[in-house]
Amino acid sequence: MKPTATKTAEANPAALDRILTAEEELLPSSGFLASVMERVQEEAAAPPPIPFPWKRAIPGILVAAAVLGGGAVELIRHVLSGASEISLAPPQLPAVVARPLPSVGWVALALGASLLSWMLSHRLAGRSGLL
Amino acid sequence: MSPNSTSATEDLADVERVLAGDAAAFAGIVRRWQSPLINMAWRYCRDRGRAEELAQEALLRAWRGLAQWRRESSFSTWLFALAANVFRSELKRFPTVNLPLEAAPEPSGPASQHHALAEKSSQDVVRRAVLALPLRYREPVILFYFHEMDLAAAARTMRLPEGTLKARLSRARALLRRRFPHLEDEQEALGFSIATPERRPNIEAHRN
Repeated sequence: MKPTATKTAEANPAALDRILTAEEELLPSSGFLASVMERVQEEAAAPPPIPFPWKRAIPGILVAAAVLGGGAVELIRHVLSGASEISLAPPQLPAVVARPLPSVGWVALALGASLLSWMLSHRLAGRSGLL
Repeated sequence: MSPNSTSATEDLADVERVLAGDAAAFAGIVRRWQSPLINMAWRYCRDRGRAEELAQEALLRAWRGLAQWRRESSFSTWLFALAANVFRSELKRFPTVNLPLEAAPEPSGPASQHHALAEKSSQDVVRRAVLALPLRYREPVILFYFHEMDLAAAARTMRLPEGTLKARLSRARALLRRRFPHLEDEQEALGFSIATPERRPNIEAHRN
């Protein structure tokens, strides 16, 4: 990081090493320290972030989970009962109705993807101090 | 006590004071590390104003995350790794405008390089060409030379195994030599001249 005597790349071995190592050192501007400390003091004076109200949210989350779970069970039941009827149905029915099981797979996949994205966003928000 | 151990002791003492609620103690950390961080950021963006912004952001993240420093590694290792993360993510969000590697002009020939200005300019072209490398190769080059060719320190900062870093560095240097063939004859055939302690000026010696 020290400024070094510049020599031509052509005249010396390991020119790339020398060029990339020999950089002039930048000095911080006069207000840099004060600027950083001002922001630090602002953050130190700010009230701590409000934690997520888990106690209040948990009943709602449980109800939502129960509704979603119930809905998923009903959906699977509906699809399965539909599948038994469809086995007797004429072959020109739409493919989605005639082959319900792959649809269940897709629904499960979508639910799984939603859950994963929720977990990921929660984790990221937690890391960045938003929660 | 060596300057390094003095600094480490001071860092530890300041961290303890900050964690105990004395925000003003962070000034000691800023004072010691502002210059290395600005110079590191400069190598990532080659823009003086942006380098200070990035360094400031890194210091603020360090302030917020001081409790996460586990003391398993030195404070400087933790700080540089954190700063590298900040610089990488900030420059992804708001990239600096760089020429593609192919568009970087070849430095002028020896005949015109008698003048110091022309020589400095041609060296700047090579330095700026580093920023045109793919990120995967760019960062190893930046950190290897920032740490004055200390492969282990660069690997710690990137949190990569040394072998991986060495491979990426090798590829990056090959790309640069392909772009600037006049450098090729002068390179030691892909051998990394890892700096010895006496050859490598200590980063901490450059602190304010």
